[in-house]
Amino acid sequence: MIIRILMLAGLAAIGWLVFLRRNRMPIHIVIVFGLLAAGGWAVLFPEQTDEIANYVGVGRGVDLITYIFEIAALFTLVHYYTKFVELQRQLTDLTREMAILRADVERTPPTPPE
Amino acid sequence: MAGANADTYVVIAAFNEGKVIRGVVGEVAAAGYSVIVVDDGSRDDTATAARIAGVTVIRHPINLGQGASLQTGIDYALRRKAQYIVTFDADGQHSIEDIPDLIAALSHADIALGSRFLGKDAVGVGARRKALLRTATLVSNKLSGLKLTDAHCGLRAFRASIAPQLRITQDRMAHASELLRKIQRSALRVVEVPVTIKYTDHSKQKGQGGFQAIRILFDYFFRPS
Repeated sequence: MIIRILMLAGLAAIGWLVFLRRNRMPIHIVIVFGLLAAGGWAVLFPEQTDEIANYVGVGRGVDLITYIFEIAALFTLVHYYTKFVELQRQLTDLTREMAILRADVERTPPTPPE
Repeated sequence: MAGANADTYVVIAAFNEGKVIRGVVGEVAAAGYSVIVVDDGSRDDTATAARIAGVTVIRHPINLGQGASLQTGIDYALRRKAQYIVTFDADGQHSIEDIPDLIAALSHADIALGSRFLGKDAVGVGARRKALLRTATLVSNKLSGLKLTDAHCGLRAFRASIAPQLRITQDRMAHASELLRKIQRSALRVVEVPVTIKYTDHSKQKGQGGFQAIRILFDYFFRPS
């Protein structure tokens, strides 16, 4: 089936990108490869996801994966928004410090009376 | 120019105010106050226009917002051992005659807030703007728990010693509401002082409209400070 090949190729591409980024911590690589393996397994044996879904009280494996995906997406959103706000705060602090330092350097002395 | 007012630092946050800033800064400096202009990354000649002898001009290399600009000016005033700090709008809508009243009020309060709706006239304010301001005040009082007649007046004065309690973390326009909430939480003594606001075509154009109000509320609730 073409879709399976496409999905596996996509997962493999992600794995390759992670592999290239060697600056990551080993634990990150292990987690990412674990998730990729789980994805590959779900692609190759979709009927087994139905069994897990049934076990936890969801009708179909597809639905279960959708739910997990939604939670993960929301988590990512909140995580990056928090980071974004924090970065903005740091940018403000840095800009402020720089502006004040520059003002001190440039401070023009009051013009002496002529 | 070390006059009697020199330990009063007037912080003026300016963004693209090249046309009017010189007049405003000149007036405040002539009254003997120490003036700090924070040019918030303007694209016009605001910084150059504000450079009058004795006036400190601080330039943000990038635009951060009015709240961030005020805090920059306040930080600088603190480093220069200010006793009183006044926030003053750059667009010419405030009058320097009101500053002594605000400072005088600090003899029995920690912070004095200007109010447009407390006796003195708001010059040239339209009915629509008035309605918007009243609504903003209502919402703001609900959020802060304070009972004020005018919640979003940019003219205020406070003792430098309480500045750390009022630290502004809302970079953009939600800083006005943030300030009130911090006043309420820290149980500082606050008074309102009637001030005159001169609405000119220029200041009206720079003012905040109804749409910005939505953004301000978003900032207030979703950018935890």
